[in-house]
Amino acid sequence: MAEAILSLERVHTYIEQHHILQGVDLSFMPGQATVLLGRNGAGKSTTLRTIMGLTPASSGSITLKSQAIQAMKPYEVAKLGVGFVPEDQAVLYTLSVEENFRLAMLTENESAWARMETIFELFPDMKKFWRSKAGVLSGGQKQMLAIARAFVNDHDLLLIDEPSKGLAPIVVDHLIESINHIKNHTTVILVEQNFYMASHVGVAYFILDDGRTVHQGLMADLVHDEGLKQKYLGIA
Amino acid sequence: MTSQAATVGIQEKSGMDPKKLGVWTASVGIWFLPLLWIDPTTYAVLTVAGLAMGMLIFLTASGLTLIFGLMDVLNLAHGAFFVWGAYVGFSLLNALQKIGWVEGAGAAQSIGSVMLCLLAALVVGGIMGIVLEKMLVRLTYGSHLKQILITMGASLILVEVLKVVWSPNDEVVIVPQAFQGSWDVMDVIVTKCRVVAIVVGLAVLAGIQLVMMRTKLGIIVRAGVENKEVVETLGYNIRRVFTGVFCAGAALAAVGGTMWSIFKEQIHPAMGEENLIFALIVVIIGGMGSVTGSFLGAIMVGLAFNYVAYTLPPLALGANIMIMAVILLIRPTGLMGKD
Amino acid sequence: MENKAMQPTPVQMERRALRQVRFTRPALWVQLLLLACLIAGPLLLPSFRAMDVMTKVMIFAVVAASYDLILGYTGILSLAHVTFFGIGAYSLALVTFHSGHSAWYHIFVAMALAVGLSGVLAVALAFFSLRVKAIFFTMMSLAFAEFVFILGDQWHDLTMGEDGVSFNLPGVFNVNWSSGTIFGAPLNGRLLTYYFILVASVLLFIGLVRFVRSPVGRVLKSVRDNEQRSTALGYKTFHYKVLSNVFGSVVASLAGVLFAMWLGYVNPTSVLGVPVMLNVLLMVIIGGMGTLYGSIMGAAFIQVAEAWLPDLQKLAVLLLPTVEVAHRLAERWILYFGILFILVVIFFPKGLVGTARDIIARRKLRLAEPNH
Repeated sequence: MAEAILSLERVHTYIEQHHILQGVDLSFMPGQATVLLGRNGAGKSTTLRTIMGLTPASSGSITLKSQAIQAMKPYEVAKLGVGFVPEDQAVLYTLSVEENFRLAMLTENESAWARMETIFELFPDMKKFWRSKAGVLSGGQKQMLAIARAFVNDHDLLLIDEPSKGLAPIVVDHLIESINHIKNHTTVILVEQNFYMASHVGVAYFILDDGRTVHQGLMADLVHDEGLKQKYLGIA
Repeated sequence: MTSQAATVGIQEKSGMDPKKLGVWTASVGIWFLPLLWIDPTTYAVLTVAGLAMGMLIFLTASGLTLIFGLMDVLNLAHGAFFVWGAYVGFSLLNALQKIGWVEGAGAAQSIGSVMLCLLAALVVGGIMGIVLEKMLVRLTYGSHLKQILITMGASLILVEVLKVVWSPNDEVVIVPQAFQGSWDVMDVIVTKCRVVAIVVGLAVLAGIQLVMMRTKLGIIVRAGVENKEVVETLGYNIRRVFTGVFCAGAALAAVGGTMWSIFKEQIHPAMGEENLIFALIVVIIGGMGSVTGSFLGAIMVGLAFNYVAYTLPPLALGANIMIMAVILLIRPTGLMGKD
Repeated sequence: MENKAMQPTPVQMERRALRQVRFTRPALWVQLLLLACLIAGPLLLPSFRAMDVMTKVMIFAVVAASYDLILGYTGILSLAHVTFFGIGAYSLALVTFHSGHSAWYHIFVAMALAVGLSGVLAVALAFFSLRVKAIFFTMMSLAFAEFVFILGDQWHDLTMGEDGVSFNLPGVFNVNWSSGTIFGAPLNGRLLTYYFILVASVLLFIGLVRFVRSPVGRVLKSVRDNEQRSTALGYKTFHYKVLSNVFGSVVASLAGVLFAMWLGYVNPTSVLGVPVMLNVLLMVIIGGMGTLYGSIMGAAFIQVAEAWLPDLQKLAVLLLPTVEVAHRLAERWILYFGILFILVVIFFPKGLVGTARDIIARRKLRLAEPNH
């Protein structure tokens, strides 16, 4: 049986006095896309932020490639090969598109620029607005930039938080296509409210409710399970 | 042509967005107003004086604004770095005097003296900055009140130690020969020191802009000013960047102090506090985190101070407060502050 | 028909409970003891220095408490508080000075002037605090305070500049007035001025305490703790902020009038300078933000230190007559102030009274727990 690339055991997280994660257990297999599902306030975004170290876990353990990372600072986690695309304000408006990418590159070498070529193919707008300030991009383009920027490094793990929020369906399709393109060599953990996107990207899923893992399984099964979808996701 | 394309067009041509271009033009244009009541020769002298003063305030303000913008820290010890720079310069000039590099010195030696002073100030300021940040400022992140209290306390301590090391009295600074006196340009008396101040100020501005706009470090700092969290998740140790920026800010303030001591030819322990007030006004006018904003603000403050001091002396500082108030009413985040 | 209006509100119930224990709370005894000391003080220790320190403690306790109202209870960090103090002091000084003689009504005119001017200025400042971010406002207020200082320093025609203004008080308050003794101490202008200031300070302080315990005070605490929530609950937070600002500033300016009465001399450094502002801030921090009574402790601490620390230099000269560095270090007592500042902020962020209240509260909580 393959080893999990990332696992969380009995993780608790507090934000000020609020007990958001109340004992979360998760494990993610390498090379596949896993989706975190659940209602608003279930703790999905907080889970990603806890993995990243932005809202540190108060107890429990987080293991990445056999290393304990629950006490690590965000930049240390990033250096271990974890990319993070937050829910909003992922993009730096006062920097140009080019600078956004350069900032993301851990090393500006040939392989990084070679990956940029692939990124330009997937996201042609990035080339078009290369020198413009990221602030002038449209909402959809900003999301593209945020995701594209995460592809720039050869991350082992990519955490993506609700990328489809506020985007038009055609843009969402484009997004699905690009994520599916990279999930072959990068493990993806996706938090999504949009079930359409979730089901087209994810292979496995976890459902969180009230800061706990309540269900898990394969996406292929979930798609047909109306009862489960209704109970935890509110989807009719 | 869509508005997005038009905006992008202007941006690509001029390197900044139209709103900022407008702000720049208006702020520069207004300074020709005093020509209405001051004769051109005096106006020229005052302008040079104002620009020079502005540059020196800019040196302190630039560090202050970066520290605010990036670290969200209100550093009231900045004035202490300034005055230490001044006194270090003063002592160094006294020492250089003994080898004849100050009074009666040639051009090369004079330039050498000044460069040494600037270097010494840079080093002393930088060290003080690192020590202060690691020991005290670190403890205050997140609480403006704590920052104010601790940095004020640190400032008191630093100034008192200065009084112990040197003395609580005023001191006279000897200026290298080549920088004494003035030139006569078309009937306008231009003091050499003022020109030096302007040159140094422009050089510093150019240097900062170079680092901020062209280097990876600059990108990191600008990104951090906008959003620290994103920068950290991209793999950068933001705490180390903080220390570095604080150190650079302190070094700049110290350089400002040294320049000021040569400029005014006298120093006293309270000069740090006085300069800090101007620097604060400039940072508020220019916008937190914007170096170009503080440059603009510094020029404004320097010019305004000199024009008003010529017409109505007691209102000079008041005029600057008025400008600050007016700008804050129109744009509460400062001229180039984040919206 | 049942009269629903007879049901007590939660606030009334709390007040009733407080009133019942009013005379048994230990804090009250401490306050009464303090008051007794202040009343008996000048009679037991007729030295000028002791009276001077006690007066300054009283006056600055009021200034610090009024600052605590704005900082600790409303959560606004303004560095212009000293300006109001200075306005009060200068009001009395200039009114007496420019009229050429001293008369009783001067005091009242001065107080009215101080209140009026401070009120208007406080409203203007409050407007600005709404308009800009908190940190900007703090910096602005600092610049403003410096500006007024320079104004006082340079406007010779009005304020006599850095030389300051000397003046005399009318009638029985005049320093030269005297008439026998009372309880063994000389009954003179100084003594009567002292008691006048004592009564006035106590009244002002009680005023602050009542303000903070009133319904308005409650709203202020909620604004400080969570402004968005208060706004959502329907309170016009801006109005409350302006109100507390004005009240605090006016009290500070009245304290300024008292200060001028005591010294008989004002100059920019003693009543408008930023170091005075720093002192007041330190008093509030040492005593504890948001405690009002902490300001009394803080004021006492600072004034006593200021009165006796300069003697440190004499001590150094006495003990080590030849070590000049020691002399210079001892001379710089402000240095130790700065160190004290920092230590208090790091280790006692809640101040003396604040930390004490914390300890007491925690002990009560532990005793209340069933088994441990």
